[in-house]
Amino acid sequence: MAILEGRNLRKTYRLSRRNTVEALKGVEVSIEQGEMVAIMGPSGSGKSTLMHILGLLHAPDPNHGPTPELYLGGENVATLSDNARTRLRARRMGFVFQDFNLVPTLTAAENVMLACDYAGIKAKQARAAALEALALVGLGERGDHKPAELSGGEQQRVAIARALVNKPEIILADEPTGNLDSDRSAEVLALFRQFNREQGQTIVLVTHDSEVGEACDRVIKMRDGWIRDQGYRTAAQVGATEAVA
Amino acid sequence: MRLVRDLGRRKLRSGLTITGIAVGIMALVVFGSMANKMNALISGGSKYYANKAVVSVGSMYSGNIQPLSLGDVKRVEGVEGVGAATPTLDMLLSDTGGANMGTPEMITADIPGGDKGYETFKIDLAQGRKLTTADAHSKVTVLGSDLARRLNSNVGDKVTLRDVEFTVVGIWAPTLTAPDKDAYVPLEAAQELFVKSLPPLIQANINPAVIATGIVVYPKAGVDPEVLKTRLQALLGKDYTIMTGKDFDAMLGTFSAIFSMVLTGIAMLSLLVGGLSTINTMAMSVAERTREIGIKRAIGASRWRIQREIVLESAAIGLIAGLIGLGIGAAMTMLFNDLGRASGNVLFDLTLGTALTAIGFSTGLGAVAGFVPAWGASRLDPVTALRYE
Repeated sequence: MAILEGRNLRKTYRLSRRNTVEALKGVEVSIEQGEMVAIMGPSGSGKSTLMHILGLLHAPDPNHGPTPELYLGGENVATLSDNARTRLRARRMGFVFQDFNLVPTLTAAENVMLACDYAGIKAKQARAAALEALALVGLGERGDHKPAELSGGEQQRVAIARALVNKPEIILADEPTGNLDSDRSAEVLALFRQFNREQGQTIVLVTHDSEVGEACDRVIKMRDGWIRDQGYRTAAQVGATEAVA
Repeated sequence: MRLVRDLGRRKLRSGLTITGIAVGIMALVVFGSMANKMNALISGGSKYYANKAVVSVGSMYSGNIQPLSLGDVKRVEGVEGVGAATPTLDMLLSDTGGANMGTPEMITADIPGGDKGYETFKIDLAQGRKLTTADAHSKVTVLGSDLARRLNSNVGDKVTLRDVEFTVVGIWAPTLTAPDKDAYVPLEAAQELFVKSLPPLIQANINPAVIATGIVVYPKAGVDPEVLKTRLQALLGKDYTIMTGKDFDAMLGTFSAIFSMVLTGIAMLSLLVGGLSTINTMAMSVAERTREIGIKRAIGASRWRIQREIVLESAAIGLIAGLIGLGIGAAMTMLFNDLGRASGNVLFDLTLGTALTAIGFSTGLGAVAGFVPAWGASRLDPVTALRYE
């Protein structure tokens, strides 16, 4: 079953009065429940834009073409208000970014608790959940440290704990390994894979690292605002991957 | 806690903003306390003058008190609608006066019981007893609370009023108004002192026993003091000044209004300066935290949450500034009151209401100033904000 399904997804950014960028030109995409998918493509191909729309950070453009549709677990969310999209992000999605994006004044545990807070979870329960999530990413002892006291890899693991803490259906990650060396990248990917396997979370990663792409179930390739390759493999290829795994 | 930590990120800027508002609030507290004192004085006077008419020749407030005769009291008593008329004698405690805020120190006298029960402005005793008709020819006094404190006197002490020694038999409880600075003496003693203060040539022609400086006229129940005033004026002629509650309010209402205007002006100024400074601080802080706001929005903070966070932080700046301003302002009023007490000039009355108003005002100011940057912050696009360097 598709957990995310989009049709006619368009996005034009207006940089100035005359200068507009057509970042997404009418994309059709489907992400299956429990899939770990990479979106790849060169700069300007629209991969981040697609992730922002799939992650409900932006709404697809409603004009200049066929009506866009975006289904999250079967519900059309293409035209929801900002507040409604925010609520869905808080309760059903987790986000990981390239620059870790932790709040510098808060400790690791408080950063993770923030996501609980926005999802409407009470502080006491949130604290327990945050510590549990930090333990899952191997930072059980470092909850009281501020981001500045953590290494890059550790910061990204805090960010992953924050994305995971509410046990969301979908985790969206924008270049999650972009600022990490290859060992740390491998750790992060292993974590994603672990949660994907153990908790059945659907994971969508934007990357231009082909190693990251190879670690995923499927690679969606983009170029110039279009999807060039949905990345579906033949039955034989799938069988081979699973045999290796 | 998180709020205070966020303020601590920008110590200098938050500190300067807090200082700015604190200064405004301090001014508000000090001037507010002064206005309280002044208003208590005026409202005390207003209460005293309500439902009576006070006859004098010349004006007590210009210090130009001229005597009238006890014969006038008899004439006034005959006027229709008069319930009681009793002579009073008021004179400055000292001719030099000295720098004085509020009312000057006075020697006042009347006839105990002369009001025939009409007087509604009652003063409680803190110590000792009131004057009675039995005190008529003795040198005894009941002191107002401020005067007693200045003279450092208790019941049984001797005080010198205009070179004459009096025994303190009572001390009034504080009224926050004119009687606090008065020395009450029997009418006969006051008449003696009054005549002594006049030039020798005039002294010779005056019988002390018949002089007074004012007549307090109480209307009978249901008689309008204004109507009574018209009748008295017709009887006594234009050389006599007759003051009713309405006249008093008209005279000092203007004074009170000017004072309130000054206070409002200061409040407005501190509102403007403090408010703009807070808006600036919070706008800078929002700009610095653009990315952080982007993160929070992305992971599910609603616009309202972002707004609340910034408005609360801004209100905290106002609250802290208010507490500091109130603290310094309260310390200043206490210090000045202590310094002034020795000379009988207690200028400030810091009430709970003023304190709460100051705190509420600065907190509200902070919150309102936070709205502008908070609104901007909540409208940021999360993706753009995340990319902000």
